[in-house]
Amino acid sequence: MEAFGLRDDSVDQAAVAAQNSMQLIAFSIGEQTYGVEITTVREIRAWNGATPLPNTREFVRGVINLRGTIVPIFDLRARFGDGQTSPTKNHVVVVMSVGEKWVGMLVDAVSDILTVSRDDIHQVPEGNSIDTELLNGIVTHDNKMVGLIDLHAVVSGARAEA
Amino acid sequence: MSDLDDFKATYFDECSELLAELEEQFAEIEHGDRSNGRLNAVFRAIHSIKGGAGAFGFSGLVGFAHAYETLLDKVREGGVKLTPEAVALCIRANDIVADFVHAARVATDLPEDYGADEKGRFTRLAAGEAPEDEAPIEDFDIDFVPVMARIARAEAEEPRGASLDAFEAPPLPPESGQWEIRFRPHGELYARANDPLLLFRELASLGELTVRAVLDATPALADFEPFGVYCAWELTLVSPTVTETQIREVFEFVEGNCELSVVEVQPLAMSPGLPPLLIDEPDELPSFSDLMPEAPAAGLMPPAEPAAPLPSFAALAEAVQAEASVRPAGVPPRPEPTARKTVATAEPAGEPEVERRNGVQSIRVDLDKVDRVVNMVGELVITQSMLTQQMDETLRVRYQELVRGLEVLAQTTRGLQDSVMAIRAQPVKSVFSRMPRLARELAQVTHKKIRLEMIGENTEIDKTVIEQLSDPLTHMIRNSADHGIETPEQRLAAGKSETGVIRLSAEQAGGNILIVVEDDGAGINRDKVLQVARQRGVVEADEQLSDEQIDQLIFAPGFSTVDAVTDISGRGVGMDVVLSNIKKIGGSVHVRSWAGRGTRMTLRLPLTLAVLDVMLVRVSHNPYVIPLSSIVETMQCARASFERVPSGGKVLQVRGEYVQVIDLCERFELGTPADDKTRFVVLCEAEGSVKVALIVDDIIGQQQVVIKSLEENFESIEGIAGGTILGDGNVALIVDVQGLKSAKPRRHAA
Repeated sequence: MEAFGLRDDSVDQAAVAAQNSMQLIAFSIGEQTYGVEITTVREIRAWNGATPLPNTREFVRGVINLRGTIVPIFDLRARFGDGQTSPTKNHVVVVMSVGEKWVGMLVDAVSDILTVSRDDIHQVPEGNSIDTELLNGIVTHDNKMVGLIDLHAVVSGARAEA
Repeated sequence: MSDLDDFKATYFDECSELLAELEEQFAEIEHGDRSNGRLNAVFRAIHSIKGGAGAFGFSGLVGFAHAYETLLDKVREGGVKLTPEAVALCIRANDIVADFVHAARVATDLPEDYGADEKGRFTRLAAGEAPEDEAPIEDFDIDFVPVMARIARAEAEEPRGASLDAFEAPPLPPESGQWEIRFRPHGELYARANDPLLLFRELASLGELTVRAVLDATPALADFEPFGVYCAWELTLVSPTVTETQIREVFEFVEGNCELSVVEVQPLAMSPGLPPLLIDEPDELPSFSDLMPEAPAAGLMPPAEPAAPLPSFAALAEAVQAEASVRPAGVPPRPEPTARKTVATAEPAGEPEVERRNGVQSIRVDLDKVDRVVNMVGELVITQSMLTQQMDETLRVRYQELVRGLEVLAQTTRGLQDSVMAIRAQPVKSVFSRMPRLARELAQVTHKKIRLEMIGENTEIDKTVIEQLSDPLTHMIRNSADHGIETPEQRLAAGKSETGVIRLSAEQAGGNILIVVEDDGAGINRDKVLQVARQRGVVEADEQLSDEQIDQLIFAPGFSTVDAVTDISGRGVGMDVVLSNIKKIGGSVHVRSWAGRGTRMTLRLPLTLAVLDVMLVRVSHNPYVIPLSSIVETMQCARASFERVPSGGKVLQVRGEYVQVIDLCERFELGTPADDKTRFVVLCEAEGSVKVALIVDDIIGQQQVVIKSLEENFESIEGIAGGTILGDGNVALIVDVQGLKSAKPRRHAA
């Protein structure tokens, strides 16, 4: 009986935790740290090249073969307007699901898994339109700012304008 | 109730198959095959549709199907002649049944009187129905009674006496009035959703009926099968007027699914109250001896609902029937009564051909599931070829077992691929079977005499290809009937037989399927085609075209040479649909015509859509693939003659034609092109036979690829039809020739 009680307790705790906090996968682009909710991440793989897609914006690095499915790769650095990444074998592709689709994000490195409280999410200060457009919010972790990426915004507008 | 929905879905699936079967049967019947096998197959199909419709309460459909069935019944008995008009009516009726089924499927209501006209014509055709038909109709305890009652009244108004004799030609000798009926249903009777109770009610309407259950075939409890059929019945019908035909008619629907004997009891035993079992006793004694003790008591059991299985349909019935040859010993065939005057015995011998076909075992699988398997097999093929590529000489020497294993893997994979493709393959019959009636309708409308011949209906093609085939074939046959075949007078004047022939054939040729539509008509009027083409600006006034090129013009959009637009064709839509549909599925169309002798149109189709034959090319450092079906030829840039046009672009001159040039390197913005000398031109054909020359850096080779969607995880891209995964695991993009052609170059936009 006690065992059951214990387990119930832990379930309750997890449920409470799930309500108030969220886990993030944190990754770095240059000096900056960004995060996405861990539940959206499907897998993390090393950069191994991609087939470029014609007629797309510069932040679309191309497509890769993910076990028989074609998945597009977005260069997050380029998406934030810092120019294209020159990827090496040490660069990382984080594959995530955005709605029904799977997309890969090219980042410099995956740094950590963070647990943060939802109450600690700050609004993105008005100012640079790229920030407000692509970030959902900002959290602080170890005195460092972590930008929460709005995946839907990141993947939109991939096609080159004529 | 998801269960009911499942049953409904199954029912509708089966209806489509049955309707297709009807088309097929009528195509033969129309050709003069009036054999009983065909009629029975038609009857059964309608009956199955009606049965299911009754179960689900689609009263309109039941009512119509019943009227149809009644007519068919008369035809089978020979009471009604199957004249061409009757056949036409039946074919029209098939459409109405299809409409009813469709309406039921999408749960809409058809007009109240839908099909009433045809129903009336059935009734008139089958006029003079025996009065006994009224009783079972009113006895039917499904809620379509109002509809049926209306027919019944209509029948009642018909003069009866004369026609009654017409189909009961040999009047039986005076009846004793007492009939002994032995009825032993087989499992499939229940599987086809028949109910003995309904049969008995129908019998009861003919006279005084006594029913006794016979349980002599009941096995010991240990051998008892829950769905086994162990109950038979003996019935005594007392009626001074009833004939054997009438009794057998009641069992019409279950014929072949039961043992039935109808015996007239001789006058000496005539005593209405007497239990008929008494008469049988001497015969029954030997079999009683090996019965279980409880059997006699069982004789008093009422004809309760037997352990009928769930409302199940032909699919289940097929399975049961397939098992019938290895029937469980629990249901031994009943020994024939010998000492009696057996009039006839309906054994499930049936029509051998039809029976055999029903015996084919099949399962119904969602196409999505099959597609998933097809995709995975595609992956497997790629992985396997990747593994094979990894084997170099040193590995080969060191790991011989591995090499052997890989060889077996390669073989198995290929076998697997073939088998999976075979699952998706279907005979073209499903499309061809719609054509005879199209030809017939066309013949009527155009007042021409047309005979449609079909060859190779059993050729199998991928299901998705078949689905795309219906429209093009329809247009091609329309075209042949309207433009190709001449009027009977013209034909006679030209020394041909009055009836024009359109031949539709299918055959497999290597990795392709060839579908040919030929007619023996007048052929393409090239002068007229060219004249119209010049008028419409399709062809420049001074341009010289070969005969073949002129023939090909009929596929140009909006092209029509007919002065008067008819109902059938001449609007200029049609043949371009053929071309675009066929192109869409990676096929090609070729037309050849002989003046005064006819026209032949050949469709070349891929065996499957899942695998595409491509040419692998390199553009900058990236692999691209171009569908082989759109490639006309390739050449070295060094040997091609380019011309400059004022805009700064290039055009290519090929055999007097000037062709738009698209440098893929520039168009796809993949860096500055290398030296022209080492590059290649791939001459492709876009929609409407418009050529376009693509310049690529290298040609790597031909291969088969599995098409992958870009939209699944991304979005569609101009000029790219999709992606595919190469043997090395990299993604190659499939060039969309048509898309490249229609898109404006964006070179200067950047």
